[in-house]
Amino acid sequence: MATVTAGITLTSAAGDLLTDALSLSDSTSVTATHTTGLARTKIDKTAVHADADVIFTASSYAAPAYLYLKNTQTTASHYIYIYDGTTSGDPVLLKLAGGDFAFLPINAGLTLKAYGSTADFILEHTVFGTSA
Amino acid sequence: MPTASITLTSADIAGDPVNVSKTSTCYKADSTTPLDQTNGLQRLILTTASAKEIYTAENAAEGLGLNANAKVFIRNASTVTTEFITVTINATVIGKLYAGQWLFMPWSQNDTAADIKVTASAAGKSMPIEHMLMHEGYFNA
Repeated sequence: MATVTAGITLTSAAGDLLTDALSLSDSTSVTATHTTGLARTKIDKTAVHADADVIFTASSYAAPAYLYLKNTQTTASHYIYIYDGTTSGDPVLLKLAGGDFAFLPINAGLTLKAYGSTADFILEHTVFGTSA
Repeated sequence: MPTASITLTSADIAGDPVNVSKTSTCYKADSTTPLDQTNGLQRLILTTASAKEIYTAENAAEGLGLNANAKVFIRNASTVTTEFITVTINATVIGKLYAGQWLFMPWSQNDTAADIKVTASAAGKSMPIEHMLMHEGYFNA
């Protein structure tokens, strides 16, 4: 088994978000045997679509698996939406502004797809976990 | 201004090492104005296996938080490796956080059903959860 270490640091100087400085750090180790590799995908759809780019295919990994996402756009209003393509209504789970990233566990039973507020935004993404 | 930094490292998940490091400033929606509010780092103890709503999406009629930008940090502070919490958003299970694991993600409240809930893996436990929201506008705690 391989180990992936994920660290997060949330900071804010005194007088910004709070009167006092904020400094929160955490780290966790994820045991994994497989990864999709760090991919860059040009997101070509601008709404829910049968052919929208697939970020994670249901049941390709066993739970627990972990997803990293990064919207590489540099303009805040350039959004990439991550939606649940398995559930009726295709609910949007995440809306990543330009520059945003996310790291979260994923439900192995869901297929996750992406679309952008405009076509051709670039999304970086990878999954760590155990192949199903 | 509030910033979030992430590192992902692994020496053995692939033939070559993985080393990802990114930093993002936490801005309000559609702008480069930093987020200016937080509910603070909260801690709660889950003792039942019922869903606990930690963040409630705003009512669209009030026009408050809908499509506003926010960042969510959730950590399962349990030290018992078999204990996990299930995290849902918009009534969809997004995944499970096992002891010591965390998530960080944007939360735009893109519809009024985008509540965030956590559920302990079993009743009768004392499972500590830590969570924090950095946001703009208003929200229902």
